[in-house]
Amino acid sequence: MSNFRRSQNQSNPNKLNAILSTLIFILIMNVTIQIWLLYAALNNALENNKEILIPAFVASLILFLIGFSLLYYMPTGNTNKKNTR
Amino acid sequence: MSKLEIGNKNFLEHKEMSKEDNLKKNWKKDFPIEKQQATNVSRRDFAKFLTLVSGGLMVGSGLVTAKAYLYPKEEVAGEHFVCKKGEVPVGGTRAFVIEGSTIPYILIHLETGEFKAYEQKCTHLSCSVFYKPGTGIIHCPCHEGSFDAKTGNVLAGPPPRALPKLDVFFKDDAIYVRAEQEEKIG
Repeated sequence: MSNFRRSQNQSNPNKLNAILSTLIFILIMNVTIQIWLLYAALNNALENNKEILIPAFVASLILFLIGFSLLYYMPTGNTNKKNTR
Repeated sequence: MSKLEIGNKNFLEHKEMSKEDNLKKNWKKDFPIEKQQATNVSRRDFAKFLTLVSGGLMVGSGLVTAKAYLYPKEEVAGEHFVCKKGEVPVGGTRAFVIEGSTIPYILIHLETGEFKAYEQKCTHLSCSVFYKPGTGIIHCPCHEGSFDAKTGNVLAGPPPRALPKLDVFFKDDAIYVRAEQEEKIG
């Protein structure tokens, strides 16, 4: 039986490269946005503006879940060709 | 040749063999990771690490929110006597601390005749601020931050927020302070 993950792993190394690079790019972008959100939330908390805190946390949570679910698409590499053939 | 000598020779040969084996075959056991695999692993680990950082930032954001809602900053309760009007000359200041608290405040007698009270901690890195007489500016010497003495707003420098403020009111000749009354908008 083959699944999505295995067929991806058997594809051309160039494709794996592209997948992995894209993944890391998206993750870095997510982390950047999260740092900005945390910075804004902290400043507003010190200023006693509480309205922004929960939306910032929810946004941060969503970004984390996006990153976490993207790990499913992370290639494990096609070094074990013998086993899959 | 005695049996002992033959045994010795066999042993030595066997020893030589195993050295050869080590050199020719076993090095792969010592370095079992191929180059492509190694590069793949490091980038995968990097992606996982980024996700971990992402989770950490999410938790941090949650902690900030929880702190703000569960342990809000304590407001100054009640009214507190500071001093008599005559004790602070025009352009002069007086430092004071409210009972049961360690936060330093300053009372400023502005040139316009008004009295203002602010927290003495700069909102940048908590240095002591002081009033520059005659200028209407509260100054922070650490990083050249300036606040408007009338409103507490930031005029220049690195401070990110206005100085926290207390309301000043009078009973006859005595000066009292209390927590700032929130301006209700809308």
